[in-house]
Parts: sequence; C-alpha cells; structure tokens
Amino acid sequence: MRRAARRRLAALGRLLLLGSWGLAVAFPMYWLVATSFKPDHEWFAWPPVYWTRTPTLENYRTVWLGEARVYRTQEALSMQKPWLALRHSLTIALLATGLSVALGTLLAYGASRYGLLSERRLFNLLMLRMVPPIVVAAPLTLYYSALHLLDSVTGLVIVYVITTLPYSVWMTKSFVDEIPREVEQAAAILGAGRWRTLWEVTLPLIRSGVVATFMFVLILTWSEYLIALILTKTEVVTLPVQLAKYEGSAEGRVYGRQAALAVGVTIPLIVVGCLIRRHLVRGFSFGMVRR
Amino acid sequence: MRDRMLRRRRFLRAGLAAAIIGPGILGRSRAATAGAEEDAVVRVAKKAKPAELNGMIWSLYYRNMQRLAEEFRSLTGIGVRNIQDISIFQIPQRAMAEALARSPEFDFFHVDSNMIPSLASAGLLEPLDEYMAETGYRLDMVGNFASFMRYRGKTYGIPTDGNVHIQYIRKDYFENPDEQKAFADKHGRPLTWPRTWEEHQQIVEFFHRPERGLIGSGSLRNRANGVTWWYMYFYSAGGFPFTDELEPALATGAGEYAVDVYLNLKKASHPEAPNWGTPQMIPQIVGGHVFSAQYWDGTCRQIESDPKSATRGKFLYGLVPGSTRSGRLVHRSISSPLAAVLVNRHSPRKRQAAYLALYWGTLRNSTEIVSHPEWTFHDPWHTGHFQSPEVEQRYTRAGLEAIKRNLLVTTPPIYLTGHLEFQDALAKHLSEAYIGQLAPREVLTRTEEEWRRLVAKIGKRKLKEELASYKAAFPRVDVPS
Amino acid sequence: MSRRRAPGGLFRWVVLTPFVALLAFIAPVFLLQLYVSLHSWTVYLTTWWDAEFVGFDMFREVLTDPRFGWAILRSLVFAGLSTAGCFVVGFGLALLMAPSFRGHGVFYTLFLLPMLTVPIVIAYTFEMLLYQKGPVNGILSALLGTDVTVMWLADPRIAVLTTVLLEVWNWTPFVFIILLAGLAGLPRELEEAAASLGASRWRIFLEVKLPLLRPVIVLALVLRFLEALGEFPKTWALFQGGPGTATETIPVYLYLTTWHYFHVSKGAAMSYVVMVLVVGLVLLALRVLRRETRALDRMDGGPGGAR
Repeated sequence: MRRAARRRLAALGRLLLLGSWGLAVAFPMYWLVATSFKPDHEWFAWPPVYWTRTPTLENYRTVWLGEARVYRTQEALSMQKPWLALRHSLTIALLATGLSVALGTLLAYGASRYGLLSERRLFNLLMLRMVPPIVVAAPLTLYYSALHLLDSVTGLVIVYVITTLPYSVWMTKSFVDEIPREVEQAAAILGAGRWRTLWEVTLPLIRSGVVATFMFVLILTWSEYLIALILTKTEVVTLPVQLAKYEGSAEGRVYGRQAALAVGVTIPLIVVGCLIRRHLVRGFSFGMVRR
Repeated sequence: MRDRMLRRRRFLRAGLAAAIIGPGILGRSRAATAGAEEDAVVRVAKKAKPAELNGMIWSLYYRNMQRLAEEFRSLTGIGVRNIQDISIFQIPQRAMAEALARSPEFDFFHVDSNMIPSLASAGLLEPLDEYMAETGYRLDMVGNFASFMRYRGKTYGIPTDGNVHIQYIRKDYFENPDEQKAFADKHGRPLTWPRTWEEHQQIVEFFHRPERGLIGSGSLRNRANGVTWWYMYFYSAGGFPFTDELEPALATGAGEYAVDVYLNLKKASHPEAPNWGTPQMIPQIVGGHVFSAQYWDGTCRQIESDPKSATRGKFLYGLVPGSTRSGRLVHRSISSPLAAVLVNRHSPRKRQAAYLALYWGTLRNSTEIVSHPEWTFHDPWHTGHFQSPEVEQRYTRAGLEAIKRNLLVTTPPIYLTGHLEFQDALAKHLSEAYIGQLAPREVLTRTEEEWRRLVAKIGKRKLKEELASYKAAFPRVDVPS
Repeated sequence: MSRRRAPGGLFRWVVLTPFVALLAFIAPVFLLQLYVSLHSWTVYLTTWWDAEFVGFDMFREVLTDPRFGWAILRSLVFAGLSTAGCFVVGFGLALLMAPSFRGHGVFYTLFLLPMLTVPIVIAYTFEMLLYQKGPVNGILSALLGTDVTVMWLADPRIAVLTTVLLEVWNWTPFVFIILLAGLAGLPRELEEAAASLGASRWRIFLEVKLPLLRPVIVLALVLRFLEALGEFPKTWALFQGGPGTATETIPVYLYLTTWHYFHVSKGAAMSYVVMVLVVGLVLLALRVLRRETRALDRMDGGPGGAR
C-alpha cells in the first residue's frame, strides 16, 4: 500500500515539475500566437491582454497578403515580401542542409571506415565550427564582394555548408561507428562494392542518425541571422532578416505584424521537428552511447 | 416646346462637353503651373540613357516616394528596380560597408545626411551641384538648413524628410486653471512656456505623476537615441565639441551643464526609459501618457491625423527650451537623423540617380511626399511646405509654426568624418551614467579620451578642413522670431 | 581491430575533393583577416591594399583594451551561467522523462519546441513579455501576491540575467536530448547487478549511472558553452549591448567595432585573439572528452566502440 502511494506521489511530483517547465515553454509560444491575432491597441497594453476578445486576422493579412496592396506594380514582387523571403529561406536552408549532411555523411563514413580523416583533422573540423561566425564576417564581405557572391543564394549556401559541416560529420560519424564492421564485411563477401555497401547496407542502418543530423543542421541554417544579414542586400532575403524589418517608428514596434510573420517562420521547423522527434534521441548520442 | 427642348439639349450637350474637357484643362494647368521645375528635370533626364536603379532605402520611407518614381519612369525611362529595405538607423553602417567595398551595386542611398562627411571621405558620394545647375534646381530650405546637405563646398544630398525636434506640451494640463494655480503656489511664478532648461525641469517634475499614468518628460534616454537630446543642452549652453585645433572641448562648463540637465531629467522620466526607443515612446506620447517632450516633428502629425490618436487637439507645439548659460538666451534644436537621397559615385548610373533625386526634391513632388494622408515619415523642409495647405492640414497651423521656428535654430549632431564613432563614444558613456554605472564627471573625460584617439586615427588635418562645413550648418539666430 | 588500408581511387576523390575544395575556398578569408589585422586600415582614407603595415600594433591595442577584457568576462559569465542553467534543467527533465509514462510524448514534443524556434523570434517574443508592465511581471505579481516590477530590460544588473534566461529557455532542449540519449543508452545489466546487490536507488544513481554518463554530460556542456560564447541575435535584438554596456559580450563588441565604428583592423585583430581563445578552450575540452571516452572504453571492457 505504501509503495503504491509513494509511486503515485512520485508520479504527481513528476507531473508537477514537468508541468512547470512545460508552462514556461508554452507560455511564450502562446503569447506569440495570441499576439498575432491581436488588434494593434492590444499589443502594448496595461494591464496585459492575456486573452483577446477581439481577435483579428489583420496581421496575417497585412504581412502575408496585404503588402501587395501597398506596392501596386511589378516592383511589388521584388520588394521583399514575406513569400519571397520564405522561398529564399526554404531554398537556402534545404540546399545547404542537404549538401552539408550528404558531404558530412560521406566524410564520416570515410573517416570511420578508412581513416580518410585523422583524429587530428576531425578535431580541427570541430574547432572550425566553434569559432563564432561574427569573427570572419568582415573579410568575408570583402572576399565575397570580389567574387560577386554577395547577395546570392550560392554564396550563402556555401557559408552555411562550411559552418555546419562539423556538426554533420560528428553527428553521423557516431552512428557510423556503431555499425559493426562485420555487417559490411558480410556485404563485401557477398560481392557488393564500396558504394553499394554504403548505399544499401550502411545508410539504412544509420537512418535515424542522418535524419537527426539533418534536422539539427536545418535548425541552424533556417534560423541563422547574422551572416544572412551581412551577406544579403536586395536580391536575396531570408526570413529572420525579413523579421527584423518590422519596426515602424511611427506605429511603434509592430508586434502584431512581427508575430504574424514569426509564426510563419517558426511553424515549418516545428512541423519537421515533430515529424522526426523519435529519431532525435538516437541521433544526438555523438558516439558516447554504447549499446 | 420644341425650341425649349432643343435649347435644353444644346445646353446639356455643352454642359457635357465642358464636363469632359474642363478637368482636363484644369488638370493640365495645375500640372503646368507646378510643373516648370519638374519639366526642367525631366527634360534634362531624358537626354540620359534609360536605367533601372537600385536603392538602399527603408520601405516605410519609400512608400511615399514610389508613385513619383514610377511617374519618373514613364516620363524618362529612369526607374527604381529594386530596393534594399532596412531601417534608416541601420543604413549608415551598411552604406559604409558599401563604401569599403567600393561597390557600384546601389545607385542611391536614403540615409541620415549627417553621414555625408564620413561617406564622402570614403569616396562614396557623387556631388550634385553639376546636375542641379543643368536643371536649374535650387535647394530651397528653411533658414540655414541647406548647409546640412553641403560638405566642403559641394552639395551631396537632396532631402526628403526635414527632421527637427519640437517642443510638445499637453494643453489640457498646461492651460488648466487649477494646475496653473497649484504651480504658481508651489514655485512662486506663473506657469509659462519653458524658455530655459531649468524652467523646463521645474515644469516636468511638477507634472510627473507616474501613479496616475502621466510621465513628466518623454525624452528618449536609451543608448541609441538619448545622445540626440544631449546636443540640444550642450549647444544651447554655448558649447562646441572641438576647438579649432581639433582638441575635444567636452569637459567644459557647457559640457558639464549638458550632462547635468541630461541626468536631472531622470527624475521626471519613466523608469524603463533606458530601454525605450522610439517604437516604445511614441505610443506613450500619442496615447496620452506623456506631459512634455522635445521630440521629432513627425509625431505632431500622428497626434493630429492618426484616427487612433488619443491626444488630438490636446498638445501645444512650440520652441524647444534654451539656455542662458553663455550670457544670453540661446535656443538650439537638433536634426538627427535627417533623411536625404545621396548618390553613389561608383555607380555607372549615378547621373540617372541624381536626376531622380532632384525629381523627388521639387516643391510639388516633395509636398506630395510630405503630406501623404496615411504615411507619416517625411516632415517638411522646403520653404514652400510652410505655405502649402495640404501640409498644414496634416500638421495643423500651430504644428507647422513650431516646426519652422525650430528649424531656424536647429543644429546637426557632429557633422564630421567619423560621426558615428564620435557619437557612439559619447552615447555609451551617457547611457552608462544614466543607469548609474559611471560617475557624471567621467562621462566627459572618458569621451574626450576616446575622441582624442579617434582624431589621431582619422587625421587632425583632415578634420580641420571639415570644421568650416560643420560650423556653417549652425544657426545664425539665437531666438527665432 | 586493424583498419583497412586507406582506399585509393574514386572513393577517396569523391569524398575528399569537395571537402578540400571548401577549405581552399574559405582559406583566403582567414588570410585576408590576418592581413587586415597587421595593417592599419582607416576606411575613410585608403583602400585596403594601400593600408599601412603596423605589425602587431593592433594586437597590442586589443590586448590592452579594458573594454575588450570586460567583454570577454561577460561572455564567459554568460556562457557559464547559461550552460549551468541548461544543464540543471536539462538533466532534471531527462531524469524525469527517462522512464516512459502516460503523456510522455506530449511533454517530449513540448520540450523540443524552444530549440526549434528561431532565436530572433525568441528575442522579439520575450521583449513583449518582459516589459515592466508586461505579462511576466503581471503573472509573477499574481502568483506572489505582491506587485512585481522587475525591470528585466532596463536594469543593468538584471539584463545579464535576462540574457541568461533566454539562452536557457532556448537551448535546454539540446542538453535535454543529449542527456536523454545518454540515459537511454546506459547498460541495464550494471544497474540490475547493483540493484541485486542491494544498492539503493540513490547510490545506483551516484555511483553507477553518473560516472557512465560523465562523457555525455561533458560533451553536452562543452558544446553548449562554446556555442553560447558566440551568441549574437538575442543579445543584440533585445539590448544592443545595453543598458549602458551591461550585455556587451564578445560578439556584440566585435560587431560594434567592425560594423559601427569601422575599426576594421582592430576588429580583425580582435577576431584573431578570440579565435585563439576559443581554440584553446576547444583543445582543453577535447582533451577532457578524450579522457572521459577512454575511461568509458575501459569500463566497457574492450573494443565495444569503434575507435
């Protein structure tokens, strides 16, 4: 009896603790979504409006559709509408993440199986990542300017691939390391070549790792702000940069509009994250976990 | 009967004809009378090749200017293809980055004209005098204001937004007889429009009632903007940041006076002021929670024209306070940022960009930009604006008067190469002192130290040559009529 | 187990070429940075190839700059406090979530969300929440019964705490997942053996689980700490280094130096000093990590891992 009561008490305690942090997580998200539905006099009100009684779609309309009313002509399309930013963000993030993870997996495989990269080189790679990107922003601008890569999707993708490669390599390597060589040796005995082994034997086994890596790198590239801010001008704009533009000196900080845009910026990541959440725990083991 | 019907038909037909042709004639004549300036620009611009331009301009500014840009394209083939849309507070840095890279990508920049010395020194700016002479365009600005566009004898910018700080005071409190009596009882003098910063301090402290939702002083005190107010106190006290030998002259009586005024106002300001920028303060002012402020003139328009304004008709507009510290009463206001169109010297389309800038700067067009019914960023600067009924409708007669008076005594912040660095050193120390992280005395001594290093880095000789342009931007009167 | 001989031919080329190409592509950036740091480039007066050579003057200026020293201190404090916070909360959550229970999935998804949110969105959201008369103070007032008027955004003493809280909110999921993975991977047999020997739950935790988890913990903390040193968007968007200079961390100061003051040379020298610092920290961390992993290997009793 006492054991059961204690267990119930423990369960309650757990619920309480988890619930508190859950609230701490959920409340800001709720506030963001709620603000996106508030009319402008409620954005900065005292006492704060916790639950709006006058919800409106105006913020979404203005941000995602309404800009078209402001710019009536052909120029409208090039004037940094959120859809353009969304398109660029998608293109850049997916391209950069895809390339980074692909290259990273290959490198990890090579390093793990064939020692293509020595320990030292691998550590160097990790060091490259740990340097804050702000540190190279200035010469990067000059360099890119000379190469005509400023304000281009290609330029941004290259930078993102380089800065996320260390994570790609390290995360997938831990997974590759876990696959016993016997599996591949068996495949070799059965006559499979190197590439076929990799593609048909190893990759399916490390699928969760690759997925988790893809997800993590996607977060990094999708949300990246500083480099995108510095390297883009008129042609290219990503969502985080676009978000920072919603500051109306006359109207005050246009929280409602920013919220409407922010919701659009955040939802894709959340959707992808939820879809692959089961793979995340396995993927984040970094070679530290023995099975 | 038939005659009457014939007559009526003829009358109707004549009337119909008149109705159709009339507005055409009227319209064209309206355009014709205002069009001489524009026609001159268009005529010369047509001789240049058509071009599509790239600009660095905040979309919130650009939306007033877009229709005119499209009109210009239909008239001359010169149009705006694309803009980099970033806040005007970020454009100085971005423009400098373009200067560093000697990039021809942008054809024009819409940026604070106080950046002209820095950008011109970095080789980014194209002088506009030649184009102005070609088209017969003259920069017709109130008072001394045109010198804000000139640097070392050449003109580099065409303004679109003539910012200046004006004094806002809540009429409903100021003219309330009970308040007047209470004030007179407390201070032994009647409640009058503050002529000096000391009088101002008394008044805002008296009306500082946070428990009732009323803040005495709505001046900004955050790191980015607070320094703009400091200049008003400093210049009105007779100060000037440098000696003729480019030695920093901050740690003087005028400087200490300015720091004292700056810090004293903390007693009448909102406690969160160190973190409030203009996005946070404007709703407070327009929403009725601020008694007094020196603030950008565009806010007056929001107060009077914005349908959601809670303070329409409740504000008095006037001259900012001054100081008698130098021996006589001197008023100084401040214009920062002052948004103007600057042309990129490295661009192959600089000629076309210059013509577009001039087109935006004609009286008729700039009036359209400034008096737009919905969008409120551009403020009056052309002498013609002050006689325009459309502009008066947005700002009210009183507002317009106040703007004009303050423009006559307005100053630039620091009109030298290195403006951003000089200003930021001062701003940093001021904001630290305001939150108690630095002793007031240290503000000036530390800033002077950093300034000395900056002067050495930029070059004393170079800066000395620029002093003339800096001083030329200073007002010629102490108290405007 | 011995390694196979490194393969020649197509495989090696396909794998290594893009990698080497990328490195070669990015190398000039570092060289340019070095060049700029050794010259005094006054952007107003010259182009960068005309700049005057000054040797190590810039480095000397950086190393004797008190503001730089303060920025480093602030970065270290920020990274340390936020990593500690992430660890405490993340570990707690991982421990609570390790066994499965009803509603596990909901909580798991919920706890992931902050890491999936774009940092600049977090900055703007919390700006709305943290005004003195904002919801957070409102809720705290309701909970505590008194009038809470903490100035999260305007008080210099609290501003650093605010940035730490934001960072903890943002990145706890990262530590949480890594630790959860670690906990999930603990060999059951050791636990069961210890339990059958009569050890209490607490003792099992302290003497069996924790040591096995050490490398995982160290890894998570090291990664988090290093990333936190480079945090920029939230600090900049909320504070721009203020109030005063209370939140002027290394990235903020570097940004101001290069992009606001245009002391590009000093910024370049500063970047190199920061790089050296970070590399030093990474080397230290990797040595610790290697020691821990080797200890783990030994505990595993043989070549269980592929190293």
